[in-house]
Amino acid sequence: MSAYLNTRVSLYSGRLWQMADFEAVLKIPDAEMADALGSRGLPQLAAGFDHRDQRSLEQRIIAEVLDETKVLIRPLTGAARSFLIYWTERFEVSNVKTLLRGKMTGERPAALINRLTPMGAFGRLDVQDLAHAEDVSELLRRLEAGPYAGIVRHARRAFEESHDPFILDAALDRGYYEGLAHRAQPLENEAGAAFRRLMGTLIDRINLVWMLRYRFNYNLPPAQVYFLLVASHYSLPSQRLRELASLGSPEAILDGLPEQLRSVLRDAPDIPGVFARMENAASETATKVLHSGAPAIARAFAYLILRERDLRSVRAILRGRALDLPADDIRVAMYQTTEGIA
Amino acid sequence: MFRAEPLVRIRLLMLASEAPDAALELARFGIFSPAQYAPPALSESPAEPYRDAWLEAESRTSKLVERCGGLGELTIPEGAAAPTLADLNELNDWLKGVWQACLSAHEGEARIQEEVRHLDALEETLGKLERLNVDLAQLLRADGLLAVNIGSLPSASVKRVGEALAMTGSLVSTFDHVGDQAYAVIAGPRERHDEVRGLLSQAGWRELPVPPELRTHPKEARAWLADERKRVEELNVRECAAMDTLRGKYRSGLEEARLRVTLGRPLAEAATAGVRGRGGLAGLSGWVPRRRVDELKSSLEGRFHGRYWLDIEIPKREEAGQVPSLVRYPVWLKPFVPLVKSYGVPRYGEFDPTLPFAFTYLLLFGAMFGDIGHGAVILLLSLGLFKKMGKGAWIGVAAGTVSMLFGLLYGSIFGYEDIIHPLWMSPLHHPTQMLTLAVSFGVGFIVLTLLVNARNKYTAGHVEEALFDSTGLAGLLFYLGAVGGVVSMAGGADLATPSWMLAGIGITIVALYKWIETHASIGERVLVTSIETLETGINLFANTLSFMRVAAFSLNHVALALAVFTLANGMGTAGHWLTIVLGNVVIIVLEGGIVAIQALRLMYYEGFSRFFSGDGTEFVPLKLAGVK
Repeated sequence: MSAYLNTRVSLYSGRLWQMADFEAVLKIPDAEMADALGSRGLPQLAAGFDHRDQRSLEQRIIAEVLDETKVLIRPLTGAARSFLIYWTERFEVSNVKTLLRGKMTGERPAALINRLTPMGAFGRLDVQDLAHAEDVSELLRRLEAGPYAGIVRHARRAFEESHDPFILDAALDRGYYEGLAHRAQPLENEAGAAFRRLMGTLIDRINLVWMLRYRFNYNLPPAQVYFLLVASHYSLPSQRLRELASLGSPEAILDGLPEQLRSVLRDAPDIPGVFARMENAASETATKVLHSGAPAIARAFAYLILRERDLRSVRAILRGRALDLPADDIRVAMYQTTEGIA
Repeated sequence: MFRAEPLVRIRLLMLASEAPDAALELARFGIFSPAQYAPPALSESPAEPYRDAWLEAESRTSKLVERCGGLGELTIPEGAAAPTLADLNELNDWLKGVWQACLSAHEGEARIQEEVRHLDALEETLGKLERLNVDLAQLLRADGLLAVNIGSLPSASVKRVGEALAMTGSLVSTFDHVGDQAYAVIAGPRERHDEVRGLLSQAGWRELPVPPELRTHPKEARAWLADERKRVEELNVRECAAMDTLRGKYRSGLEEARLRVTLGRPLAEAATAGVRGRGGLAGLSGWVPRRRVDELKSSLEGRFHGRYWLDIEIPKREEAGQVPSLVRYPVWLKPFVPLVKSYGVPRYGEFDPTLPFAFTYLLLFGAMFGDIGHGAVILLLSLGLFKKMGKGAWIGVAAGTVSMLFGLLYGSIFGYEDIIHPLWMSPLHHPTQMLTLAVSFGVGFIVLTLLVNARNKYTAGHVEEALFDSTGLAGLLFYLGAVGGVVSMAGGADLATPSWMLAGIGITIVALYKWIETHASIGERVLVTSIETLETGINLFANTLSFMRVAAFSLNHVALALAVFTLANGMGTAGHWLTIVLGNVVIIVLEGGIVAIQALRLMYYEGFSRFFSGDGTEFVPLKLAGVK
């Protein structure tokens, strides 16, 4: 099966975009856009290009990712399969957050359902039922009886104590990534260093960016910041995270990083800059893994990381064009994408 | 019974304000299946907001009825009208208010339950606190240098919280675990207590209020706990009474809400298929049986007195794929319908195979599992499980009966072949005859499927396929000729020359048809034609031989019984009968199951795959209640 998956990943890797592809899509007329997207391996985006609806664009991008993940998952079993399925679940966790925010603002169920990302075969939530919950408490209780009980239970208790939406979001995010790291552990033993590198770049980036945001944007005390981070055994293990969280400025934190990360982030202007640089570094790692003889699951994961990076850039282009932004501004947004796809 | 009922497409245009009533009328009519309808002139979807409001009302009503319970059976008054959108919005506002009132009462109940659990935990904790060997009064002093918290948090978080607390100079020490909760004491410098509080709220910490009594004498603490339990119990009685009051207060309103939701359901359901409109007009489209059109017209006339426009259209042959299938079955045949539908729904106009399926399936099962005793067990078990299995048990009853009939013909009862004389023949003593009969049955079955396929193709407008394809009449000619030729070669008839000529004509027609139908280069046409023609012969041959399993399983049944008897005969009296009983149980469960599957397999793969497309759409009528 790994031979099949390897072949599949190699075939898919031909779909990854080169700089010339982005430039071409940036320049071509609207009438040719659907063909251009279709011929570059983005049939879902090509089919709905004329919709011009940003929500629908986001949904189609995720549909594209889910379609490809479905194909990659097919030959997998055990921990590898469970890991990739869980990787798609962050879109559903994002739906959970949308539902919670909708309930906080009293949004009507139909409008709320419309904003959710269709998960297709990966969907585990009964969104109709959840959208019709009367308030956040009822929604959380219903979620707790569902597939995301593990993530939600903790978040609910935290929310009940504080009634702070930030705490709810942070608890959900942390719960999700703790689960991801937990599922990655058996694969790190089986799939070795390549897979570990990919997970390392992901979790280190999340921890560092969250730490900077929580510490200096939200002014949370160090102990609380540390608690909100994902337990890690990569370049930034727990002890190092504790030390960093106790430091008093972003510069001090960046200076306190291990040399490998410090060199990547030297002179990073701000937190979005840190994110962009770490994401670029993660893409480089993923590209190396994809083109190496690493185990199939590591290559598949690397492909998905790169594919999502491409799709984020395509999203920036399509959004920019829809807003009639100048090409140079779109380029800036494209190369310094500061938000995750989920 | 052999084909779907003829349907017509209706398009009903009416005032948008009357669309809920029109849908209700169609649901009352009981036999209208909504279908997609999107004429360019009607570009709006007037039923969408209605559906959204209805879904909200339905969800709230269901929740409230579930919580309040005890509502009687729903009766729908004769002339009741469907709620309008404004009615539904108003209903939603009312339901929201009721929900909030009930929710606070319900939350009160939940809080009491939680308090009871909390007291339980407190009592358990008390014992442990007594053993902490610390002066709690001193420890929990509000003016001390140390800030101390006693409480619970998720066990999984203890390590992380401990590490984070260490950053504030605090310590955590767990002293108990209940479920997934860990009970712990947290102590740290009072000046950093705000940091600790923020962290704990993030970590799902729940403070355990230690009452003053608990801080002094354990005996007093236990008395305090008993008083607390009493207080909570009184609170519970009050909350229950409040809930009962609410139930009484809102019961009639909820019954009314349930009725309105039921009456609004038809339009909300129809909206999923698409109700289109523009301005003050709305249009519904769907399918109704041709024979009921006049009845529908008069029912609409009676309700709307000409304030509608009804267009009726007979579906064209090429539209057959869009028309749903409505087939009526007699009660005794209905249990077999799911078995056919698990393969597929008959397309509109297609031959419905349920009746021949039922007969053939039972015949094959009986032939492969003929035994009076085993059949009787299946029959009795099915009767015994009738309540549990519903109408599906009827298949077991019929299969058991047919098995008993074949048991009589084979002279077999619980595997014993010497108790009764076979009315026909014992498979074990006449294996060749059984094989011949099984293959002959297969030939007859395949001929039937080819004829049905030709008929299906013809009615669907594919006349060439019906006449010349390998599964049409040309294939049938070839098959009959080949069978005649083989029978003649085996000495069963003297028709070799005409038979082979017939087969030759048949296969030539098939080959020519394949040649004409293949639009490709010469080389590819040669390849496709030769392979597909060859495949025709091989398939029909293999499918015919497939029926040998019928004889094989009838022999297998006897052989298994013989194996059981051989084992039993080697034991003492008790062992003998135990082996006989257990052996028969194994035969019934294992072989019975295999034979049931094999019979189904023969029907699906040798039968259905030849003539039954199964890609039809089910006729799902709008119903007044109980529809999804």
